[in-house]
Amino acid sequence: MSGRLLASNKVAIVGYGQSKVERHSEQTLGALAVETARACIADAGLRPEQVDGYVSSSLLPSAGSHGAVDGVNFVTATWLAEHMGGHATYAAGFQGLGQIPGIVSMAVNAISSGAADYVVVQRALNNPTRGSYHANAMTEISGAQQWTAPQGFFGPLAMIALSYNEYLQRYGATREAMAAVLVEARKNGARIPWSYWHDQPLSAQEYLASPLIVDPICRFDCDIPVDGVASFLFTSAERARDLPNPPVYVSGFAMSAPSTWRLPLHWPLDDIMEVGADVARRLYESAAISPADVDLPQVYDGFSPFIYYWLESLGFATRGEAHLLALDGGLDSDVRGALPALSGGGALGNGRMHGVPQMLECYLQLSRRAGERQREQASIGLACHSSPHLGGAVVYSATPY
Amino acid sequence: MSSTARPLPVPDAQSAPFWEAAARHELVIARCARCELLVHPPDVVCPRCGSTDPQFGFTSVSGQGVIRSWTIVRQSFLPGFDVPFTLVDVELDDQDELRLIGRLLDAPEEPPALGATVRVAFEDLSEEISVPAFVLTDSA
Repeated sequence: MSGRLLASNKVAIVGYGQSKVERHSEQTLGALAVETARACIADAGLRPEQVDGYVSSSLLPSAGSHGAVDGVNFVTATWLAEHMGGHATYAAGFQGLGQIPGIVSMAVNAISSGAADYVVVQRALNNPTRGSYHANAMTEISGAQQWTAPQGFFGPLAMIALSYNEYLQRYGATREAMAAVLVEARKNGARIPWSYWHDQPLSAQEYLASPLIVDPICRFDCDIPVDGVASFLFTSAERARDLPNPPVYVSGFAMSAPSTWRLPLHWPLDDIMEVGADVARRLYESAAISPADVDLPQVYDGFSPFIYYWLESLGFATRGEAHLLALDGGLDSDVRGALPALSGGGALGNGRMHGVPQMLECYLQLSRRAGERQREQASIGLACHSSPHLGGAVVYSATPY
Repeated sequence: MSSTARPLPVPDAQSAPFWEAAARHELVIARCARCELLVHPPDVVCPRCGSTDPQFGFTSVSGQGVIRSWTIVRQSFLPGFDVPFTLVDVELDDQDELRLIGRLLDAPEEPPALGATVRVAFEDLSEEISVPAFVLTDSA
């Protein structure tokens, strides 16, 4: 795809639901998903029988050996539609690169094509109660992982560690710079009532004292696994006019294109940045904006190095210098003129909600529903997801343009 | 160095020649019979020429290369690995961007520099299975 999104600013978010983000919810994930979807529909001023579409991505981003069950460890769109009373005529799940841009694009497509009028876009994340999140007791390895796991290369921490160390070595970045990033993410997360890290800021000293797990990654560089669900109600710009909340329009989106054939989980820094530059170019074309137009660049941060990769891919920092921006206080969302890239706390400040915090911050700020955290300047938001080479991003606007 | 508690690869029709060669301490890489690209791991379709019948044959390679990145694993998410150990992301000399990831054996206390040269070595995990790893060329 190239050029302006045909459906740019023709579909809007008109309501949301966000559960509490906890290490382990007392409720089954499916129950939490139904409650959150109901809250979302009510928030938009609608009744469940008016909602005819459900879209979700249901990836459980874990390397552990859990027996995953729909409605328990993940929630598909069909499961949710079935348990919301059976009024849906459109229920579909996303498979591809960029879970959140993927489900947003599916909702935009369904609404702009007329396949559905009111669509719940839902993401449910589970922290399995059985077994470690990423540890796996496998004794035999077949399939693609036979090329990496017997050699000791396994799981997402080693995956991100290799690219991050490449970045540190190449650009002379320091852990002090990343400490500033973590302090900022947790400062903002601490202000959010539903966050797992509510009222729990992190100091630079705590970050620097944390032992490395897979160098240069320590546990604070990883978002904490949680139970949590978020839902967003999408409808057409025309229908949005009759609903109570200020609409937030989808202006454009771009997903990463599959790139170089690699070993499983092998993410060389240059792969990430080359595809990231292409995603950024297509994203700005899709929304017909430039980086200078963006008030809220909400970068993805499931692992902290993604923050650098996105800032540089999107043109908010020179290649190899995002760490300097962080070190100089350039990401302090309380300072006028600094880049509020982590104002919503991200995953590091909320918990492993897999792109939801970025999307929710854009929605809350642009609809001017962020309460005490409301920012003065919030017209164009940008929400990233996953790695620049295996994810994507969405541009939102408070006004159609 | 051998440890039967480590998970073992299960060779399949495509990977069997790789593991058979590894057991002889020989590093072989799949080569597309159409365009001669070395492809690791072997894919269904050749990533360069697009052949859907690449008839991969495994060919012996130098096993020499340079470190493009490294990490020290201090907590293993798989059983049987003694920690800490060093992993290296190696670009083999045999072809641009031909990458293997493996353990750096006999790693010195100082972490390796990016660009340091290595050669392949093998860890014998069982009678049938040896796994490719690397050693620094200078320390060899």
